[in-house]
Amino acid sequence: MAFKKIGLAVTFSPNSRALLFEAKRFSELFNTELVLIHIGDFTDELKNEMIKMIKETGLKEDSYKLLWRDGDVEDSILEFCSTEKIDLLIAGALIKENFLKYYIGSVARTLMREAPCSVLLLTQPSIERAPFKKVCVSVDFTSLSELAAKKAYEISSLLNSKELFFIREFQLPALATTVYDSGSKEEAQSMRHVWLDEEKSKMELFVRELNLPGAEIKTICLYGKQGWEASNWVNENKGDLFVIPSPARKPKLLDRIFQHDWEFVFRQLPCSLLIVKPDDDSL
Amino acid sequence: MSLSEHDIVLFLSSVAVMLFFSRAIGEFLKKFKQPIVLGEILAGIILGPTIFGVLFPGIMNNFLSYTGAVNIAFQGITLLAVVMLLLVSGLEVDLSLVTRQGKVASLISLMGVLFPFAVGFGVAWFFPNELGISAKENHLIFALFVGTALSITALPVVARTLMDLNIFKTEIGFLIIASAMLNDLVGWIIFSVILAMMKGNSSGLEFSSTMLMLGVFIVVTLFFVRRVFNYILPKFEKITTYPGGILNLILVLGFAGAAFSEWIGVHAIFGAFIVGIAIGDSAHLKEETREIIQQFVTNIFAPLFFVSIGLRVNFIQNFDLGIVLIFIALAFVGKVVGCGLGAYWGGMNKEDSLAIGFGMNSRGAMEIVLGTLAFQAGLIQEKVFVALVIMALVTSLSSAPAMGYFLKRSKKKLNFKDLLRKDLILFSDADTKEVLIKELCDFAASKNKLNKEKVYEEVWKREQQFSTGLANHLAIPHARLKIQSPLVVTAISRGGLDFDSLDGKIAHVITLLLTPETEPELQLKLLADITKNFHLPDTAKELCVSANSDEVISKIKQLS
Repeated sequence: MAFKKIGLAVTFSPNSRALLFEAKRFSELFNTELVLIHIGDFTDELKNEMIKMIKETGLKEDSYKLLWRDGDVEDSILEFCSTEKIDLLIAGALIKENFLKYYIGSVARTLMREAPCSVLLLTQPSIERAPFKKVCVSVDFTSLSELAAKKAYEISSLLNSKELFFIREFQLPALATTVYDSGSKEEAQSMRHVWLDEEKSKMELFVRELNLPGAEIKTICLYGKQGWEASNWVNENKGDLFVIPSPARKPKLLDRIFQHDWEFVFRQLPCSLLIVKPDDDSL
Repeated sequence: MSLSEHDIVLFLSSVAVMLFFSRAIGEFLKKFKQPIVLGEILAGIILGPTIFGVLFPGIMNNFLSYTGAVNIAFQGITLLAVVMLLLVSGLEVDLSLVTRQGKVASLISLMGVLFPFAVGFGVAWFFPNELGISAKENHLIFALFVGTALSITALPVVARTLMDLNIFKTEIGFLIIASAMLNDLVGWIIFSVILAMMKGNSSGLEFSSTMLMLGVFIVVTLFFVRRVFNYILPKFEKITTYPGGILNLILVLGFAGAAFSEWIGVHAIFGAFIVGIAIGDSAHLKEETREIIQQFVTNIFAPLFFVSIGLRVNFIQNFDLGIVLIFIALAFVGKVVGCGLGAYWGGMNKEDSLAIGFGMNSRGAMEIVLGTLAFQAGLIQEKVFVALVIMALVTSLSSAPAMGYFLKRSKKKLNFKDLLRKDLILFSDADTKEVLIKELCDFAASKNKLNKEKVYEEVWKREQQFSTGLANHLAIPHARLKIQSPLVVTAISRGGLDFDSLDGKIAHVITLLLTPETEPELQLKLLADITKNFHLPDTAKELCVSANSDEVISKIKQLS
């Protein structure tokens, strides 16, 4: 099963009801435990309001666990993820944060970068089921991207998604400078084609090696800035869920200033985003 | 002062001659795989006082020796050329690549700047006369300049070398490119500070004010202009014609940055370089646009600049073997040791570290630009300038062969042909694929001190998922194991074996591929590479008639 324990960061924001419905659906779909996390003041009135909201989704009392704490929102959620051994954290996220929030870090962006488990960020959570018709996975041929591809396959199978795309992007920095010495734009272009063909054959082998029965996987190879090209493609092609392996190291402020890879995606989400972290028995 | 009719004729015909000779000699040298910039410099040496001036002094005095208004016109055009050259160099500096490559790239580039700088500064400080110092009062600045001159790396030459060696798209290639980019940035910042020190307050600003404004300029350009450009670029492209609109915008911003940096007392090229970095960072900037502007600058303006170098100096008269040899020795020691140590400390093996050291050693056009500016500023004399030009050419020309040599010795073999070994070829009579795979695994394990049961277990497990029989009589059983480097063992089955191949044909060549479990991409790369070598239908069958392992290897190495 793709995930064993789902956590939902729940608030009293307008999207919360929809997020609760989504979390319920995912926990039923994956047949997992559900942990609801709320960080904020605790009063009986607020608790009743929360319980009421939960009940509206149809969740039974024994089918979830509610954790409530006052304190730093990001730190508390991250701590609960670790202590509760949550392996998928669901949260709502804006497609784009404002300039300052992006650099300082909003709750959603912090969870994207720092959560110890996989994170599913829903840009348009809905009360009614709105299935992911087009699931796109970014592939970088690492062990983690194999895991991301397998999880995407599982999710798309469970949700009966219509299309599953594996996207590979690559770029050769400073390639343009080689036209200086050779004087030939064609040579640089032909080298790009050779490399593109190499990536395509690697993609075919990657899909073959994953051995995912019954899946009709379409492969896409793009030349350009990593992270940006794939994100742009998903956006233009109206993807519903973009699955990426988590960054190899914890992103820092410098990565936000000189954006690369997933920072392009975090800056502006092309659609709902699933960031896959290695789980204990996966690698 | 304005150009007379005679001046205009002289100016335009000189430009035509310079462009013609630079391209002709450059194209000629390209046939011998030499860089075009070498042809451009040679054209200048031939047309200038070194050769043409000696053979035809009369014509030289009237034609390519400029005075008055023509000289000013040429100064203007070479300034434009060098500003644009640095602008396009900046376009290719991708700072995010440096942050992405992380610790190793930072170590290589910092050591690639600090170590040669220390070596150059130390030698120039303690032995200034041996290095041809021109005036004692410039002792400190001269030593700083020598340090900087030795710490420069030419990104275009590095990129070209990586392309020629077919390692552009490899881990080591990315590392070298990222290191060269950071190296470039740091090197040009230091050089700008030196030029500002030299200019003193001739720009009307105190040195401290110049430095403050330089810092502000760098921060504003790299943090704010970069983002603003990235934001407006797609909108700008929608309302202007391509590529004219975007080329215009790049040049406008580049020249504005250049003018500003000159105004604050730092040379114009630095402003162009920093603006180039800010523009080049945009994800919206098309690769085609980069190539067009590279072509535009490097085929039209850069030749004029490089030819003009030879026109200024007599290379024979000012050739001082002692100075040339010292600079070449310092260049090699500084870069190869500095970058090599950086790579080694970053965890690379000795051979790869040396390959990186030599890869970063090419100075190319950037060194010549730096030398020319120092020469024009009166910081160095002609002999040092000639030595720098020769050092730039020697380091650039030696980079690819030296890198190639160490990469061949590297344990990190990255393609099928490099992994082939005579003692890892076997001729098999096995009658089932299971027997053959067992035979291959035992053979691989015995040759490489691996646990044969474990090897077989993993390979067979993978084989049972679905067959590794491909097309064209080829099969590649494979697995990922806890090993350090990839391993290839090839069996030739003359009778052929049923491997449930994709095309239904029996397999004659069965290559066992074992790769480190930590490098999944390497497995795919090698699988793709082996498959590519057997893309013709009868290649595998032809190997079956080989008499021995040597012949098998020889035939595989001839495959294209």
